[in-house]
Amino acid sequence: MADLSQQTSADEPRVAYQTARTTAKVAGTFAIVFLALFVSNFIGTSVIAPLRENRLVEMKAELRGGDPTEEQLADIRQLDLQIRRNRMWRLDFAHKSGYALLVSVVLFLVAGKLARVLNEPPPRPRSIPDVGAEQIREARGSRWTVVAGLVTLGGVAALLITSAAPLAFVEAKETGPSYASMEEKRLQWHRFRGPDGGGVSVFTNIPTEWDGATGKGILWKTAVPLPGNNSPVIWNDRIFLCGATEQKQEVYCYDANAGRLLWTGDVPVSPAATQARIDPMEDTGRSASTMATDGKRVYAIFVTGDIAAFDFHGRRLWHKSLGVPESAYGYASSLETYQDRVIVQYDQGDGSEDLSRLYALDGTSGRIVWEVKREVPNSWTSPIVVEIEGRPQLITLTDPWALANDPADGAEIWRADCLGGDVAPSPIYAGGLVLAIEPYSHLVAIRPTGQGDVTETHIAWTMDEGGPDICCPVADGQHVYLLESHGLILCCRLADGEKVYEQDLRDNFTASPSLAAGRLYFLSMDGVMTIAEAGPEYKELGKSELGEKCHASPAFGNGRLYIRGLENLYCIGEPVAGGRAD
Amino acid sequence: MVRPRLILVALAALLVVGVAALGLERFPPPEFETDYVRPTTTAPNPPQGLWEYVDAGVLAVTLVLATVLILRTRNRKLIFALMLFCLAYFGFFRNGCVCPIGAVQNVTLTIFDPGYAIPLAVLVFFALPLVFTLFFGRVFCGAVCPLGAIQDAVLIHPVRVPRWLESGLRLIAYLYLGAGVLFAAMGAMFVICRYDPFVGFFRLSGNWEMLVVGACLLLIGMFVGRPYCRFLCPYGVILRQLSRLSRWRVTITPTDCIQCHLCEDACPFGAIRKPTEPWPNKEYQVARRRLAFLLVLLPVLIGAGGWAGYELRQWLAMVHPEVRLAQRIYLEENALVEGTIDASDAFRALGRSSDELYAAATQLRDRFGIGGALLGAFVGCVIGGKLLSLSVKRRRTDYEPDPASCLACGRCYRYCPKEHERLKRGREGLVRH
Repeated sequence: MADLSQQTSADEPRVAYQTARTTAKVAGTFAIVFLALFVSNFIGTSVIAPLRENRLVEMKAELRGGDPTEEQLADIRQLDLQIRRNRMWRLDFAHKSGYALLVSVVLFLVAGKLARVLNEPPPRPRSIPDVGAEQIREARGSRWTVVAGLVTLGGVAALLITSAAPLAFVEAKETGPSYASMEEKRLQWHRFRGPDGGGVSVFTNIPTEWDGATGKGILWKTAVPLPGNNSPVIWNDRIFLCGATEQKQEVYCYDANAGRLLWTGDVPVSPAATQARIDPMEDTGRSASTMATDGKRVYAIFVTGDIAAFDFHGRRLWHKSLGVPESAYGYASSLETYQDRVIVQYDQGDGSEDLSRLYALDGTSGRIVWEVKREVPNSWTSPIVVEIEGRPQLITLTDPWALANDPADGAEIWRADCLGGDVAPSPIYAGGLVLAIEPYSHLVAIRPTGQGDVTETHIAWTMDEGGPDICCPVADGQHVYLLESHGLILCCRLADGEKVYEQDLRDNFTASPSLAAGRLYFLSMDGVMTIAEAGPEYKELGKSELGEKCHASPAFGNGRLYIRGLENLYCIGEPVAGGRAD
Repeated sequence: MVRPRLILVALAALLVVGVAALGLERFPPPEFETDYVRPTTTAPNPPQGLWEYVDAGVLAVTLVLATVLILRTRNRKLIFALMLFCLAYFGFFRNGCVCPIGAVQNVTLTIFDPGYAIPLAVLVFFALPLVFTLFFGRVFCGAVCPLGAIQDAVLIHPVRVPRWLESGLRLIAYLYLGAGVLFAAMGAMFVICRYDPFVGFFRLSGNWEMLVVGACLLLIGMFVGRPYCRFLCPYGVILRQLSRLSRWRVTITPTDCIQCHLCEDACPFGAIRKPTEPWPNKEYQVARRRLAFLLVLLPVLIGAGGWAGYELRQWLAMVHPEVRLAQRIYLEENALVEGTIDASDAFRALGRSSDELYAAATQLRDRFGIGGALLGAFVGCVIGGKLLSLSVKRRRTDYEPDPASCLACGRCYRYCPKEHERLKRGREGLVRH
C-alpha cells in the first residue's frame, strides 16, 4: 500500500506535465482554427466585400447622370442594406473570433509555460577548458559586430547623403523665388496687352501678312471650347485663355507650337453666382477678363467674381469667390501679377456702398495679402504694375481717380482727379507719363512722381479732342495712338499732347491697338488687321484678313501673333521663330 | 501525433497574418436623406485627473512591492504574479498609457518647448523608475513594466543569443533613444509611442502594421527572452546606466558564490557573467595597443557622427509633419505628384501662403541640422564607448548578474544551492516557531 502511495506521488508531476501538454495542444489547435476563421473573415472584409461596395458606388454614379427611377433607388437601397448587414455581421464575427483567439492563445501560453516548468531539464553547466580564451573570443566577436554595425550605419548615411536631397522645395527656394522677375516678364506676354499692359512687343519679327481664307501665314488654328472676349497670354511655349457659359467656367492651356489643347481647368461657378443669375452685356460676355501669369502659376477671373489659380500642368491650386460683382455691363477688368501675387481691380456698384476693392492675393494659396477699399463706382479698366524711378507702382483708373498704389502693401502713392463716367480703357505708361482716357472726353498725361493728391501739380497735359470708350492707347515713345470703336485713329505727341493726325479706318474695333517693330496693329471686329507704320504720319503697310470675327486684343510672341476669334484661336507666324527681342 | 512545436510554428505564422484583421475599417454612414439627425460629433472628455494620481500611486506601490519581492523575498512566483498584475493594470486596464518609456519624450518636449506643460503624473512615471533603479537595480523592468511583462508571459522556450550578436543588437536601443529624443525635441512626433509594438494588444485595436510588428516581437519573444527590452527599449538604455550605480541589486546567491556553475545558463536574457581568468601576456600587449587606438578613434567617431547627422538633416526633417506638408505642396504645385491629399487641401483652405510654409519648413530643416549633428555625435560616442568597453579587462571572481543587463526577473535564484539552503532555513525557522 505504501509502495502504491509512493508510486502515485512520483507519477503526479508526470501526469501534470502531460495534462499541461495536452491542454497546450488543444488550446493551440483551437487558436489555429480561430485564427484561420479570423483571417478568412479579414479577407472577406478587405477583398470580397469591396467588390460589392464598388458596384454600389457605380450604381450611385449612374444616378448622377440624370433623374433616377424608383426601381433604381430601390436596387441601390437593397444593395446598400445587404452590404451593411454583411459588414455588421463580419465585424461581430471579428470581435467574437478575436476574443476566442485571445482566450485560446492565453490558455496555450499558460499550459505551455506550465509544461515547460514541469519538464524543465536540470542545469547542465558546460565544461569549458579555457574560460579566459572563450571570453577573449566573445569580446573579439562583439567588437566585430559593433564594427559591422558602425559600417552599416556609415554606409546607409553615406548612401543618403550622396543621394538626391529629399526636400525639393528647399532646393527650389535656394535657387530662386517662386515667380518670374520683371525682366523675364518683359520677354513674355504674361497679361492683357503684354508687359506693362502697354501693347508693345519686344520682338521685331512679327508677321505682317496672312490670310485666313487660304491659310497663308497661319501656323495653326484650333477651336476654343467656351466663348470669351479675353485675350491670350503667353509664357514660353504655352498659351492660356479662358471661356465661360452660365454653367461652366474653364481655363485652357494650348501648346504654342502645335495648337494642341494641353489641358482644361475647371473653375466651379460659386453658388452665390448661380443664385444671382448674372446677365452681363453681350459685348462683355462671361469671360472678358484676360488671365495673367507670374511664370509659375496662371490666374483667371470670371464675370461671376470666381477667381482661380492653376499651375502650368493644369492642377487647380485654389479657387475662391470674391463675391458677385455689381457691374453695369459685366465685370471685365483683367488681372495683373506682382511677384507671386495676383492683383485684382474689383470696382463695383455706384460708389456709395463701399463695395469696390483692390486686392493682392497670394498666388500659391489665394489668401488676401492686402486689400484697399475704394469709394469708387464700377469700372472696366485693368491694373498695370510698372517700375517708375526704381520703384514699382500699381496704377489703376476709375471714376474719378487715376490712382497709384504700392503693390507690396497696397499703400496709396498718389491720386489725380481727372476721369469720369464709365471708364474702360486701361492706363499705359510711356515716356515717363501715365496716360489715362476718359471715354468720349479726353486723354490725360500724369507725371507719376508725386505723392498724395497730384491733381493740381502733376497733370502734364490734357488732350480734349475725345477719347476711345473701349480700346486702350498705345505709344512708341514719341507718339500716343488712340483708336475709337468706330475706327478713328488719333495720334498725339507724347511730349505735350498735341494732335498730330487723325485717320479713319472705317471699321469697328474692340481690340486695343498694339505696336511691334515700329508697326502699329489694329484688329477690327471683322478680323481684319490693319498694319501701319508708327510715326507722325499715317502710312498703311497692309491689311490681312482672318476670316473670323474678333473681339479680343492680339498677343505677340517671338515671331508669332496669337489672335482669338469668336470660336478659334489662331497662331500666325513661322514654325520656328528666330527673331530677337529689342 | 501533433508535436507542440509544430502547433507553435503554425500559430506563429497565422498570428502574423491574423493581427491585420483587427484593423477593420468603419463603414461610411448612409448617404440617403432621412429624418434622422446625425448627432454632432464631440471630442471625448479628457481622462479624469484622478486616474493619473491613482496610476502614479499604483506605480509607486508596485515598485516598492517589486523591490521587496526581488531583493528581500527573492520569490520568482510572487514576482511573476506582480508582473501579471502590472500587465493587467498598466497594460490592459490603463491601455498602456502613461508609460515611462514614452514619458522620455514628454520630458524632452518640456525642455525644448516652453509652451508644453508636462502633466505631473507623466513626470512621476518618468522619474520614479529611475530613482528605484538608481538604488535597487532594474526592479521596474523585472515586475512592473507592462511591455516587459507581456514578453515575459509569452517566453516558453528560451534560446541563448550569442554574446557577440547581443552586443550589436543592443546598439539599436541607443539609436532609438537618440531618435526619440530628437524628434520629440523638434516637436515632430513621439516616435516611441507611435511605434509602441504592444499598445495595440493592450487596447485590442490598432493599425495593422504595428500589430504585425508587435505579433512578430511576441513570436520572437517565445524563444528569445524579452527582445524589445534588450534590443529596442529606449528607456532601458537609461535604466542600464543607472543600474550600474545601484547600491542594492539582484544577486544570484544570497550569501557567497560557491562556483558551482549551476546558474551559468539560468538567465534567458544572457545577463549572468562568469568569473574572469587572467589574460595571456601577449593578449595584454595587443589589448593595450587596441585601447590606445580606440581612445584616439573615439573623438573621430563623435566628429564623423556629428557631421553625418548634420548632412542628414533633410532626411531627418522629413519626419516633421510641417516639412512633409511643405514637400507635398511643392510637389503638387510643380505637378510632380498627381492629386491632392487631405493635408494639402486643408492647408489651402486655411489660406496660408506656401512661401510661408516653405520658410517655416526650411527653418525646421536647419534646426534638424543641429539636432542631427547632436544625434550623430551621440551615436558615434555610443559606438566608440562600446568598443572601448569591449576592450577593457574585467575582473570577476564570482558568477554574478551584469548590473546593466539584469532585468531582475528572479529566475536565477532557484539555480543557486545557497538559495535552497536559505529557503530551507526559512522553512525550518517557521517550523520551530
